[in-house]
Amino acid sequence: MPASKSPVIETRGLRKVFRDFWRRPTVEAVKGLDLTINDGEVFGLLGPNGSGKSTTIKMLLGLLRPTAGTIRVLDSAPDDTHAKACIGYLPEVSHLHTFLTPRETLMYYASLFGLSRAQAVQRTRELLAMVDLEHAADRAVGGFSKGMARRVGLAQALVNAPRLLILDEPTSGLDPIGSREVKDLVCALAKGGVTVLMTSHLLADVEDVCDRVAILDRGVLCAEGKIADLLRQPDAVRFEVEGLDEPDAAAVRAELEARTGRRVRQEYPAMSLERYFLQVVAQDGQQRTFAMAPFLGATLSAPETAPTPTSNSLPMT
Amino acid sequence: MFPHDGQSRARGLALKQTAAIARATLVEAIQQPVAFLILLSAVMTTLLVPVFQFHRFGEDGRLARDSGLACMLVFGLVLAAGTAGRTVSGEITCGTAAAALGKPVRRVTFLLAKALGVLAVTMLFWLGVLCATLLAERGSAHFISHIEYTGYVMDVITLVLGVAGVAVALLVAAARHYYGRRRFGVSAFVGVVLSQVLVVLATGFYNRLGQLYPLLGEAACLDSGADHAHAAGWVFYHPELNLRVIPVALLVLFALAIFAALATALATRLPTGPTLAICAGVLLLGLAGDSLLIGAPFWSVRGLVAGLLPDLQNFWLCDAVARGGRIAWRYVGAAALYALTCCVLFLGAGCLAFRERDLG
Repeated sequence: MPASKSPVIETRGLRKVFRDFWRRPTVEAVKGLDLTINDGEVFGLLGPNGSGKSTTIKMLLGLLRPTAGTIRVLDSAPDDTHAKACIGYLPEVSHLHTFLTPRETLMYYASLFGLSRAQAVQRTRELLAMVDLEHAADRAVGGFSKGMARRVGLAQALVNAPRLLILDEPTSGLDPIGSREVKDLVCALAKGGVTVLMTSHLLADVEDVCDRVAILDRGVLCAEGKIADLLRQPDAVRFEVEGLDEPDAAAVRAELEARTGRRVRQEYPAMSLERYFLQVVAQDGQQRTFAMAPFLGATLSAPETAPTPTSNSLPMT
Repeated sequence: MFPHDGQSRARGLALKQTAAIARATLVEAIQQPVAFLILLSAVMTTLLVPVFQFHRFGEDGRLARDSGLACMLVFGLVLAAGTAGRTVSGEITCGTAAAALGKPVRRVTFLLAKALGVLAVTMLFWLGVLCATLLAERGSAHFISHIEYTGYVMDVITLVLGVAGVAVALLVAAARHYYGRRRFGVSAFVGVVLSQVLVVLATGFYNRLGQLYPLLGEAACLDSGADHAHAAGWVFYHPELNLRVIPVALLVLFALAIFAALATALATRLPTGPTLAICAGVLLLGLAGDSLLIGAPFWSVRGLVAGLLPDLQNFWLCDAVARGGRIAWRYVGAAALYALTCCVLFLGAGCLAFRERDLG
């Protein structure tokens, strides 16, 4: 993302100390956090349990009051309702009224954004189709599995077509297909100019979709930057060649070792389990449809062909 | 299409949000089994009092009326405080409050909408128990002097209709749940209230002896006070209900509104249990407010307690309608203002407490 874009989220010296009933401090969840997220970025907030990710998000939304520091979200204070009208929020746990159906839930949240009834009905229909819950649209959410509830949660986060989407553990509880769909949805929204802030324990998810990440530990910002920069191993080079047979691979390897005087490691890369799963599901003859595909304007990224067994990867160390 | 396009106005949005949150609160509250059980207990207790009372000394109607109003106050208090506790404190705990406040909803709007939702539940309950009280008073034994019968007579038909109305409401709710997959709790709660209203309206079609109108002159005249007025000509519709109970019941509703506001305010910081306990304490102290004040200097603990708490004696005037008495509507208006002031003060305190509340 271009660095010149204006910041959508900006925190300076953000602190949060939780207190007990007697106002005694119990834990300092966030310690002097400086964070800038620019317009159109997909930003990942990583960290172990208790590192302050959800606390930070709740402060950004005005749900928790910061002990110290400043927050600007969409150039406004965090509890500014005009700014919040442009924000979609998926909480860590899909907090839903268990007695409402998905349709009623989305209508309820649509009314909180001031949509007219006709707009709300149309938006609800679109979102139910998008999260593949049309068949369960009139069942109470209380009887849903965690994954289904997550889909309702995701739909409610998009009910206002947000400019800024805040997703707290968005793939939690979803099956691999749902997880892939959410990641593709995030990418599609980002292409459309939506800024996304997401947290996840599943680092692969973050790696798949985020432009930049920040790593929090015990409330302290430990690292921040573009994923490519953070993960680059400056003292190693990797070549990937498709269709190289074994004798040629051995020859290249020998040549490289002779030239550099260093040991060259030769590998045959394996696809990820997620990729394999999606491929199997796509090929099992059931013609499984990906619910979000029509809304993303393209088919999802399930692989169409298996990686060639002759691909070689040659990291040189 | 969306508010951030600049098409929405803040006031209209706040009203829409208030309506949506209040409606969700109402539906959530009345579909809870405990809310329905409270309503059912209050209505059935009220309807069955005339059946089981003994040694009445001609005060059957009064006993039925007082029991109904007492049920209205006590059960209503539990319903209002319990609903507020669950809907505010419970939602803060389970996270649905945070989910709503993550949207462009002001905390004040959220809390006031919750209070309105609780008040709506309380009013539905109140309407059901008021109707049951009117039916119970009509159904209890009255002295009548008629061309066919003179003496004490119970209006068994009215009582049976009242109880049958509850049974039918339950059956309809069960059928709607089975065939239409509608929420049983909501159908049952609304159905019971509706059944009592319908039976109250139906009582105008027959007299205490079970004779259907229209009846002419003497035939229509049951010697029970105001009924004489109808003896002159044909009587087509005459409910024979003690409508003087309505102002008394309105005063009880005002008291319940105060409790709803107090419980909503308390629930921003306390769980449901302590909220209920404090409301019960306020009920006891509020009813004893006059006694506390007697002989107490203004700057004393007793004076302070009596001054700070709402004086609930203002809202409990059952005796005023005994022996044909009436409550002036002017008094009801003044009581409404007093109740409104209390509600505003409690909800104002609640908004302040909720403003800085962390929503995890």
